[in-house]
Amino acid sequence: MFSSAKIKLDKSLVDRIRKFSEIAGYASPEEFITHALEKELAHLEDADSEEEIKKRLQGLGYMS
Amino acid sequence: MLIARSAKATIVGAGVLLFLSTASPADAYVGPGAGFALLGSFFVIFATMILAGVSLLILPFRTLWRIMKRRTKVKPLVPRVIVVGFDGQDTRITEKLMAEGKMPNFSRLAERGCYSRLRTTFPSITPVAWSSFSTGVNPGKHNIFDFLDRDPRTYLPRLSSAYIGSVDRFLKIGKYRIPLAKPEIRLLRKSKAFWKVLGEHNIWSTILRVPITFPPERFYGAQLGAMCIPDLLGTQGTFMLFTTRPESEAFQEGGMRLDLKGDGDQWKGTVKGPENIMIADNPPLELSFQLEIDRKEQTGRLTVGSEQVDLKLGVLSEWAKLEFKVVPGMKVAGLCRMMLTEMDDHVSLYLSPINIEPEKPAMPISHPGYYSTYLEKRIGPYATLGLAEDTWALNEKVTNDQAFWTQSQDVELEREKMFFAALDRLRKGCLVTVFDATDRIQHMYWRYSEKGHPAAQDTDNPEFADAIEKHYLLNDSLLGRVLDRLNDDDALFVLSDHGFTSFRRGVNLNAWLLQEGYLYLKEDADGTSEWLQDVDWSRTSVYAVGLVGIFLNIKGREEHGIVAPGEEVEKLKMELQQKLAGFEDREKSEIGINEAFDTDLIYRGPYKGNAPDLLIGYNHGYRISWDCAAGKVAGAVFEDNIKAWSGDHIVDPRLVPGIFLSNHKINNDDPSIVDLAPTILTLFGLQPAPHMEGSSLLDPADITPAKN
Repeated sequence: MFSSAKIKLDKSLVDRIRKFSEIAGYASPEEFITHALEKELAHLEDADSEEEIKKRLQGLGYMS
Repeated sequence: MLIARSAKATIVGAGVLLFLSTASPADAYVGPGAGFALLGSFFVIFATMILAGVSLLILPFRTLWRIMKRRTKVKPLVPRVIVVGFDGQDTRITEKLMAEGKMPNFSRLAERGCYSRLRTTFPSITPVAWSSFSTGVNPGKHNIFDFLDRDPRTYLPRLSSAYIGSVDRFLKIGKYRIPLAKPEIRLLRKSKAFWKVLGEHNIWSTILRVPITFPPERFYGAQLGAMCIPDLLGTQGTFMLFTTRPESEAFQEGGMRLDLKGDGDQWKGTVKGPENIMIADNPPLELSFQLEIDRKEQTGRLTVGSEQVDLKLGVLSEWAKLEFKVVPGMKVAGLCRMMLTEMDDHVSLYLSPINIEPEKPAMPISHPGYYSTYLEKRIGPYATLGLAEDTWALNEKVTNDQAFWTQSQDVELEREKMFFAALDRLRKGCLVTVFDATDRIQHMYWRYSEKGHPAAQDTDNPEFADAIEKHYLLNDSLLGRVLDRLNDDDALFVLSDHGFTSFRRGVNLNAWLLQEGYLYLKEDADGTSEWLQDVDWSRTSVYAVGLVGIFLNIKGREEHGIVAPGEEVEKLKMELQQKLAGFEDREKSEIGINEAFDTDLIYRGPYKGNAPDLLIGYNHGYRISWDCAAGKVAGAVFEDNIKAWSGDHIVDPRLVPGIFLSNHKINNDDPSIVDLAPTILTLFGLQPAPHMEGSSLLDPADITPAKN
């Protein structure tokens, strides 16, 4: 959970990310990069099954 | 088993300190889809001993390094900031009781410093509001808009705050499968909590049960997670009822109904545990128990494994430990409470949701990982489930008002012990603790406080007529104990995330959207299926998922979107806002919805695209209906709410502000929950981060700097 890996990015790209992450409302450039990558991955990854989702939500008082 | 608390207490001391400085988090995980993967106990003990040795050897160097690191350049204005959160404490009730002189400690604090109403978030619900408290930003920047998010590919709801993945790589040995990776467990709340900023400046924080802190993040401090920590089955809380009653008397909606077999005074049952992913097809782990009852004495004794639990009819047991054998030499443990609910013609036994055991957690629930173990050694076993109070069992009338009250107050007491243990140890830094019972008590006992509430029919127990007031007075008593232990130079904040109101009538937004021609059903579907499975997405332009708002079915965003982004979206939102403004419940001649809010206008930040397109501002007494929350389209638009869950706060946020008190006077007569994070940073001599939106409620010039 706490593990991380380093990825090399072009310095000019990092500078642009630094500049715009604050303008966009991110708490850090890392959050900006993570969000951008997660958005792309969401298009590629499979959705969870209905059965699995139902199980996870079971017991949430607001829905019972 | 009845866990011997006195014996546990004796363990605290040198042993715990040694453990704290050396132990590593258990490599065991349980969860939905994930099942569990854990290292063998021998390896854990061996590795722990090695770590203990190494840690002792380098202890002097670590201590020196920490002292050097803590030479921070910031100059705190106060040595300690203490934050006490009472989830859902309502302004109107608080102000009434204060005016009546029934909450002297709240009044004392208000006179010394301040009392104010606190603007909550849109929407006014726990995960959203506490996330804004933690980060100092609006939901558009922290990404929590509801308890639920929706997957635009499938239109299915999902938990908004945490993602728990599954393991798909195994080493097969005979009938066993050894997981080759840990399941991914990810916090979906974004931005940065203020305690993380404090930690970057070497200021310690202890964060206890603040909602939306699961899985825990790494920072300089200690944290016990809260809302959305699952039970051992991977759900948000599944109770079990073992009963001799026939199948036809099953529950309407939830819980597991299991057989109790035997006769006379001897009964047997099998507890359902988590899936065993170490065996193909993930069969559920099971645990058999024997129950011996004494009808004359109205008692019972349950034997499970080597543990024995003494039971009394209608009385909740102490925490009992359940250990499920996974493979030889490997176990996964949970905690539950039990209650015999009947022992006449039929025998029934209630089992609370099985909480992840904090001593050896099967999933990361604290930071550092061993912090939950430390707390268990300090205060004994405690609830770890996100929504620890079993509202579902009371809704289903499996338990009763007394059992729910006991359960809620016991959880509160556990929390109080954690809080005071942390307060006593804290010399410098920040301590935040959220007490949940105020919220749960109001959800479940509001029917007692309101004449004519549809759920009030069976509420004839006079003992609970003033349950809500009684609990507020307990909060006052707790605050008194906090004030007594406060130092003169401490800063104290007491707040709630939102207020409360009645939930008399449910609104099925999807039924309304169907009536109005925004939502269509598949051919031959009747709209009774859950999770919007009956919806024809090729013709549907608007739908409701989750608890707080509605989504447009937008081209390029939703899998089968039909509404063009841009002008068409704006036109449709405006049309819906006009129809929903002052939306009337004609049967009751009352306004059900005050207003629908365009989230594009009220949120700012990189995640606002994940929000519902419109937030629904329900009037007092109204909320999304149970059927709509479950994704059913069929039925009336308005319906009575007859469940014990009879109070709520999913309404127009302007109707349910929170409370705010401090031992300092504030510079703002309209404080907001986003102001807390910048205020706390300011008190520690730090500038609020540029992305934060609130502003400090205290002027640094008015506070005498802390002595070093």
